[in-house]
Amino acid sequence: MPVMRLGYVHVRVTDLDAAINHYSNTLGMKIMHQEGGTVYLKSWDEHDHHSVIIEEGGVGLVKLGYKVTSSDDLAVFEKRIQQFGATSERMSAGENLKTGDGLRVVLPSDHVIELYTDMEYVGTETGTLNPDPWPRDQRGAAVHRLDHALVAAEDPALVERFFYDCLDFRPAERLITDPAQPELIGTWMFCGQTPHDIAVIKGPNGKLHHFAYWLEDWNEVLKAGDVFAMDDVSVDVGPTRHGITRGKTIYFFDPSGNRNEVFTGGYQTGPDFATITWTADQTGKGIFYIGRTLNEAFTTVFT
Amino acid sequence: MQIIRVLPKDLVLPVHQGDTILAALLRGGLSYLYGCRRGGCGVCKADLITGQVSYPAAVSETVLSPEERADRVVLTCRAVPGTDCTVQLRSQVRVAVPFLFDIAQHELVGHHDDQEGVD
Repeated sequence: MPVMRLGYVHVRVTDLDAAINHYSNTLGMKIMHQEGGTVYLKSWDEHDHHSVIIEEGGVGLVKLGYKVTSSDDLAVFEKRIQQFGATSERMSAGENLKTGDGLRVVLPSDHVIELYTDMEYVGTETGTLNPDPWPRDQRGAAVHRLDHALVAAEDPALVERFFYDCLDFRPAERLITDPAQPELIGTWMFCGQTPHDIAVIKGPNGKLHHFAYWLEDWNEVLKAGDVFAMDDVSVDVGPTRHGITRGKTIYFFDPSGNRNEVFTGGYQTGPDFATITWTADQTGKGIFYIGRTLNEAFTTVFT
Repeated sequence: MQIIRVLPKDLVLPVHQGDTILAALLRGGLSYLYGCRRGGCGVCKADLITGQVSYPAAVSETVLSPEERADRVVLTCRAVPGTDCTVQLRSQVRVAVPFLFDIAQHELVGHHDDQEGVD
């Protein structure tokens, strides 16, 4: 079976209280557990115990967690990862809070990803029996769920090959220098049926560009923007649309400078999806379809 | 009121109570290259030529190292001037909002008048 989805993002923050306020009050996530300087949060439409982990001290990405269907799958992935030549180690249940057995992998780009089979089931806030479409006690932007992450790599093609060969991800869209002599600048890859579950763009190894939350529609994106103004959130770009993925978006920063995104739209992918290609001369349009210009922060701000 | 002198253009702006260097420059209508504005990326680093700054908000050592601090590198989105300062920016600086720049210059005129009154 394919990898299910991006299950969790673990980031460092310089100021825990400011981060708690951002992720719980501004974005609307629920605090599930706090242990020392580490806080575990969940969005209202997620059923596993947590999807975002914030840890006090520093800034930037600690690791990404991708949920897989079974131990058998994990064994298959482990074998392929070893053949690929990436470093991996088994992790046991409980090593991560409420999280089952898994495999910790260091990507060729130095990022750490964890593949895991189980996380304690908590349930969504609307439940599974005759549910309402959304919970009445929403806060702030009321993000629905984690959606995807974009990381930087000095060699995006190598990381793309890792996800393709080892984990059966497929590229929905690729940004290349020139069709005649194609060198990969960025890749947007899926394991489910959305445009991307991971994306990789040329940049410093080990760094995070952003992680994104799903919202229902353009109106919710606009409302999130209003909330960001009310809460003095540093907004990077948007609301606008991406050419790549066709998504509607706002990029913004958490109080420590980690870039977040609220995202909606896009299209359906799947195993037979025909990969879309963008050329470097159209990068502005690809990233920000309406303004058609990359802001300098897009290519310089990583944490 | 404190003032900040911005090199290489040699522009002078007032610094309001609690303003970071970035906040003072934006209030004064200037623009330069900055990133997250939250101390995470280091894009807005500059060199402090004279004066003292403090950091009321936590700043990661991975963004501004102890060595850089010792070399008087400042993270302009987080550094709050404690005295009059002179700062050398690392990117091009320009007057992006002329009417804000004019207001700031008027404030400085008032500031200088006050100083003369005190003398």
